Amino acid sequence: MKHNQNIERDRELLLGLARNDDKALATIYTENFPSVLRMVLQYKGSEDDAKDLFQEAMIILYEKVQQDEFDLYSKLKTFLYAICRHLWLKKQQNGSWQLALPDELAEILPGEDLNITQEHQQKDLQFTIMEQAMGNMGEPCKTILEDYYVRKMSMQEIAEKFGYTNSENAKNQKYKCLMRLKKLFFDQYKS
Amino acid sequence: MNEFTLIRDIERYLEGEMTVQEKTAFEALRQSDPAINAQVEAHIRFMQELEGYGRRVALKEKMDHIHSTLDMDVLRNITPPGPARVVSISRRMLTNMAAAACIALVTSLSTIALMQRANRQKTTAQYEDVRRTLNNIQRSQNALINDINSKKRAPANPGTYGGTGFAISNNGYVVTNYHVVAGADSIYIQNTKGEAFKATSVFEDISSDLAILKITDSTFKGQALPYSLKPQKALRGEDVFTLGYPRDEIVYGEGYISAQTGFNGDSAAYQVSIPVNPGNSGAPLMDNKGDVIGIVTGKQSTSDGIAFAVKSAHLKRLLEEMPKDKLPKTQWNHKNRLEGLSRVEQVKKLEEFVYMVKVYN
Repeated sequence: MKHNQNIERDRELLLGLARNDDKALATIYTENFPSVLRMVLQYKGSEDDAKDLFQEAMIILYEKVQQDEFDLYSKLKTFLYAICRHLWLKKQQNGSWQLALPDELAEILPGEDLNITQEHQQKDLQFTIMEQAMGNMGEPCKTILEDYYVRKMSMQEIAEKFGYTNSENAKNQKYKCLMRLKKLFFDQYKS
Repeated sequence: MNEFTLIRDIERYLEGEMTVQEKTAFEALRQSDPAINAQVEAHIRFMQELEGYGRRVALKEKMDHIHSTLDMDVLRNITPPGPARVVSISRRMLTNMAAAACIALVTSLSTIALMQRANRQKTTAQYEDVRRTLNNIQRSQNALINDINSKKRAPANPGTYGGTGFAISNNGYVVTNYHVVAGADSIYIQNTKGEAFKATSVFEDISSDLAILKITDSTFKGQALPYSLKPQKALRGEDVFTLGYPRDEIVYGEGYISAQTGFNGDSAAYQVSIPVNPGNSGAPLMDNKGDVIGIVTGKQSTSDGIAFAVKSAHLKRLLEEMPKDKLPKTQWNHKNRLEGLSRVEQVKKLEEFVYMVKVYN
């Protein structure tokens, strides 16, 4: 059955995505981006809009599969497309009254997807706060933390990169940076 | 314990870098100090956020990398921008809204227009009323001036306007309405026998609409007046009659006094219910005894049977006001010779003293 095969393939890709498999990510990206681009262009959006939108959907998907509780009910393509559409229309709704969410499209989106995007909004907020906090950090803290938490470099590598005599010194530096970032983050978070 | 050592300990604790001894000591500290415990928990949450952030940034970097490898030109070509559905929907909405707005606009404009028109009609109606009433005098008065031209008079004697007048003395003084002779170049008086005499206006009073004419023709021979002037007010319901020239022939009409005031409450006049036609202006209004009680001046054009006559008291006042040298030899103190006669006899005697006034201008 072709349909089942497709689902099977999508599952594989998602598992790859959860494992941080770059190839799986690239496959999902290249296969699904064109249809989203088409949609956004249809709705008079730009290519950059399409890129932002699709990447946002990908982040949702990624965070979903990380949680280990994600079960794909539909084809991956449909899922991504639906989320993109929803996000897009939501953005338009906020932007201008002219582009009110057409009923036909609102119906397409399953309730679960709406939950996903709502959950995503919360995460998005935290992400933005963290992004701001990170942006307010000076060097070398920003790079040290990004190297450690984003690029997953070891403390040894970081110590070498920044010329610390040993990883212990680098760690102390990291702790100091962390302390400041934490402060910035929670200051923002509370306000 | 300062902030730095605390965060270091938390980090080491969470990363599993502590020795067993340190770990138990730290756990004991967590247990005993709720503030420390809260710090640890906040740190765990914070680290989750940070890791989430890290993952996301990493993913974004990877995706940007993938995106940069995409051949956007190819994608662009395979995605011809189809019909913009949302835009078309909004256009449809716009059309609807435009239609609705148009309808609303038309409705409100037409409502305003209608209201204004209704308003205007109302005011013009009032206005017309006023104007009509204003016109009334003029029109009715003008109307009473017989247009002699239209009567196909002999071309040798074409009068422009005509009215009625009656003698107030035996030496050629005649009273008529001012509006009959107003602006006249020449005035002729014609009696029932068809004899015409030239006359001039010697005294005019616009307010009471009366004019005194003097017949200047030497051929005119005066006669003693059979009637007298009754300056007292006539009463409502009193029978009255008149003789006038609405046409070339003298015409008799009778009626009664309907009100003590004239048009628009004019106290100088009576309202008389009597058939009055153009040309009756200046005709004498007589009571049953044959006394002059007024001079017919006009009628209300909007309703039938409403005519107006200047009270005789004003004629008397006018005669008293006249300059002495012009004063006619009034013979009002003579005995009324019409009293007790039948109406036919009265009219027969009277008609010799009622003249057609022909005005040329």
